[in-house]
Amino acid sequence: MKFPLIAFAGVTVAAVGIAGFADGDQLRERLGNMIDRTAPELSATFRGEGARGSGGAGTEFAQAEPAETKPAPAEQPPAVDESALRYFASKGDTARLQAEISRLRALYPDWTPPKDPLAVPRNKDDGLEAMWRLYAEGRYAEVRRAIAERQAGDAGWQPPADLIERLEVAEARARLVNASDLKQYETVIEVGAGTPSLLTCSEIDILWRVAEAFAETNRSGRARDAYLYILKNCDDGPERLATVQKAAALLPYATVQELLSYEKSNAAGALEFESIRDDLARRFVAEGERDATIEVDPKYLRRLERLVETEKAASDALLLGWYQLRRKNMAAAEQWFRSAYEKQESASAAQGLALALIDRKAPEEAERVLYPWRDASAEAHATYMAATANLLAIEPPVPLSGDVLRRIAAETVKVRDPATAQQFGWYARALGQPQTALQWFATALRWKPDDEPSAYGLAITRHQVGDAAGVAEIQRLWAGRSERIARLGETEETAENETLPMPEPAKERPKTAEPRPAVSIEAARREAISREAIRREAVRPAPASTAPRRIVRGVAGCRTTLDPSGLSPETALARGWCLMDLNRPIEAADAFAVALRAPASRLRQDAAYGQSLAYLRAGLTNKAAVAATKSPQSRARAVELQTAILADRAIAAFDAGRYREALLYLDQRSRIASERTDLMVLRGYAYMNLKRFAEAKRIFEAVAATGNSDALRGVADVNAAQEIWPRKF
Amino acid sequence: MRYLLCLIALLMIPSGPLRAEEGRAAVKDSAWAAYKASFLDPTGRVVDDGNGGISHSEGQGYGLLLAFLADKPADFEQIWSFTRRELLLRDDGLAAWKWSPADTPHVVDVNNATDGDILIAYALALAADRWERSDYSSAAATVARAILDKTVIEHGGRTLLMPGVEGFSASDRADGPVINPSYWIFEALPVLDRLVPSPKWQALAADGEAMIARLKFGPRQLPADWVSARTALKPAAGFPRTFGYNALRIPLYLMRAGRADRDLLLQLQRGMFAPDGSLVISDLETGAANDTLSDPGYRFINHILACVLDGTKLPDGAATFRPTQYYPSTLHLLGLSFVEEKHPECL
Repeated sequence: MKFPLIAFAGVTVAAVGIAGFADGDQLRERLGNMIDRTAPELSATFRGEGARGSGGAGTEFAQAEPAETKPAPAEQPPAVDESALRYFASKGDTARLQAEISRLRALYPDWTPPKDPLAVPRNKDDGLEAMWRLYAEGRYAEVRRAIAERQAGDAGWQPPADLIERLEVAEARARLVNASDLKQYETVIEVGAGTPSLLTCSEIDILWRVAEAFAETNRSGRARDAYLYILKNCDDGPERLATVQKAAALLPYATVQELLSYEKSNAAGALEFESIRDDLARRFVAEGERDATIEVDPKYLRRLERLVETEKAASDALLLGWYQLRRKNMAAAEQWFRSAYEKQESASAAQGLALALIDRKAPEEAERVLYPWRDASAEAHATYMAATANLLAIEPPVPLSGDVLRRIAAETVKVRDPATAQQFGWYARALGQPQTALQWFATALRWKPDDEPSAYGLAITRHQVGDAAGVAEIQRLWAGRSERIARLGETEETAENETLPMPEPAKERPKTAEPRPAVSIEAARREAISREAIRREAVRPAPASTAPRRIVRGVAGCRTTLDPSGLSPETALARGWCLMDLNRPIEAADAFAVALRAPASRLRQDAAYGQSLAYLRAGLTNKAAVAATKSPQSRARAVELQTAILADRAIAAFDAGRYREALLYLDQRSRIASERTDLMVLRGYAYMNLKRFAEAKRIFEAVAATGNSDALRGVADVNAAQEIWPRKF
Repeated sequence: MRYLLCLIALLMIPSGPLRAEEGRAAVKDSAWAAYKASFLDPTGRVVDDGNGGISHSEGQGYGLLLAFLADKPADFEQIWSFTRRELLLRDDGLAAWKWSPADTPHVVDVNNATDGDILIAYALALAADRWERSDYSSAAATVARAILDKTVIEHGGRTLLMPGVEGFSASDRADGPVINPSYWIFEALPVLDRLVPSPKWQALAADGEAMIARLKFGPRQLPADWVSARTALKPAAGFPRTFGYNALRIPLYLMRAGRADRDLLLQLQRGMFAPDGSLVISDLETGAANDTLSDPGYRFINHILACVLDGTKLPDGAATFRPTQYYPSTLHLLGLSFVEEKHPECL
């Protein structure tokens, strides 16, 4: 009983294991039932081996239907025909010679390879000799043909079992490789399980392909077993290295750590994976950037940090920067982005640095750093424009040099950005230059005719300079569309009367507003829930600002419509939150805008946050983005707003047919938050519409694996989108 | 005459598929040798020389069937070795349809083509019986089961054959399901039914024949290569609206299976042949000829229609096979084997 397949003929589902042996000690190892039925004395050895691993490499490795039924073999050990070895040797094909010897050992444990394969005698049977030659040349179809031809001519002739077995193994090997190249992983596993003699250290490529098939079909435990098998049993240094590299690309961080524990040292005491440890560190840190829940061992962080010092590669510093940014370690992130930027200026470093700078309320530097990179990508540009709007919106106005103002103005005009144009208007007003303000507001309105805040800015500035006819014109144009423009110039008694009884909310505010440790946890939780939920959640008052809002609601409420521009910033802020509770986001945004003029940074921060949420709820994403930059936010709030804004932008870009842009927004978003399922589906369709079918299919299939029906539909759509019907010509 | 034909048809149906007698080849040795020399690569690959030298599951299936009809187990084994190793790779057990020698990996589209799968399973089943090969039989059963599971669907009260697993269904296309009537290889269906019994095979055959009888599009009253079966049967959107290289096989398959009635065969004959006997592939809206095919393999379909409908003998030389291109030459041998077996009086 030498050929394990045969033992399984007729068994419906058989547990089949890896068989193989370490080249060094020729120890043969097999799994499961097969061992019991073929080589019981080795069973315990392998099971003991498996038990040492934590997951049990000795458990079943694969389940597969058995190969087709074949006649039972003779009981006595078959003679091993060594002709093929002679052919390999005569061609100097040592690789195939070695593989064939290993395969033969797997098939026939008692067989000893010939000392000199060239001395293997020729078959006296010329026909058989020709078959072995075809076999050695890999011409398997012709071997099959030759066997059938001979049988047709000589009914009594049977091919040697040895030839049939080896032919089957060789054909199975080719089929497994073909299926693996086509990502037909079930076939790979079925063929691998049905041909255990292929699963040896000398067929490392086959072992890798089987492991990959397990990993790609969500059986990472089995994949781990396969890689572990190699590390426990196979000795070739470069192959062991490659095994770790492949495993690191397919398996999660923690599993790779387990595999690394099987590292050996050489005679000199050097660790065998030392040469790839830098790359592993990079890979792990990059993985940690994608997934904030991974706690990368500090030794890899230190290793990468040392690499930054010694090799001075900006890319390594960038990895560290994004890794830290993802974990809200903003000071560390800034340090690494700065280091990256100093080594090699890049859009990524500039963006990361700008995020860190905005976090520590240094928007002026953020603008300066981003300026050279504004055209690197749509996202870089959007961020730059947001930074400029942010900079101009700071109260009291930041004195900016003529150069900076000129370049912001030039960029604003170049891309016709109504948001920054509007902010220029407010900035000019604040600096007492109403004529300049008038021009900017008018320009913003030209670029975005429905931009009510610009119209309002234009109106109040005309009012200020005494241009009654101009105010009237705007009021006529905006009649029915903007209450605050309509009411401009009226006495605001009603409003004042309503706000009078309110207490001074600022006095109610706890003095120790910052920091709020609970926020980051809450934000992390929000990341996991849907966008709608995020919005609802976000409206809930943050702890530090509950008091004023509750009081406002209790005393005056906000049901009456009024122009908030006459309110004190504190009252306006409270009114904003109140309007949010009533789901009147446009009015709320106006109220927050008034609150934004407060001198106290704390108040402005809340107002900007509120205004962003209001615009988001109203579907005005771009306004939300600008609002979000009007005042530096806590990290949690910034991330929360930014993820929501980017998601909305991605959806808007997708809806407008700008798929590349949608992908850019999604990429940007995924850098600060994990991608939601619906956005992954959106990403898939963006790929599909860009004819990047393979990527579309990959992402749809990944999501579909969770049972998501949109993704299942996506898989079908991407298939339909490709021209796939067979044609005749 | 019509009575006689019906009688012939009745006699043929229970006799099932073409089945060469032991020791007697329906495809002659010389014809098969010429075919092999032109289109069979030593690796066991049937080469579509008219299509850039690629190979496909259909060609491998035809090759296996012709090797069986020629009674050549060694050639069959050679073609099967390639087919299994290079195409029978899909996770669902069906064959990848397109193989290109110039590309790596060679399979350039892993979708299946269901007519190729049917031909492969059918030829394996026939060979398993004749040459007592249980490995062929179990491979045939695996493919047949996958055909049933993955490509045979119910839609609008009909049992339909999807041309491929991906890309043709009601959820894949606005006018889906889209079918290809020339993928109904009727002679194979009862054989596959014996191998993997299911009432679906019978339903597929009955619905397929009834449907084909109703595919009368345009001035020439011909079936389309690709048909939308979403509501009323009509030429599918997004495909050429033609009676083309696909649909021209329909009468051959009907006759080989002994299925079609005289009216249907006459209707096809009128629409698809020029007065000089060349085969016209045409635009379905205008009836205008897209091409006139004078290769002997295409003309042979007309000859066997004349034989079956009127008992007309084959013209001089038509029974002599000389390979031209893969596709018409394949049709030629399938037609010749049919006349050899079922209508020797026309030789």
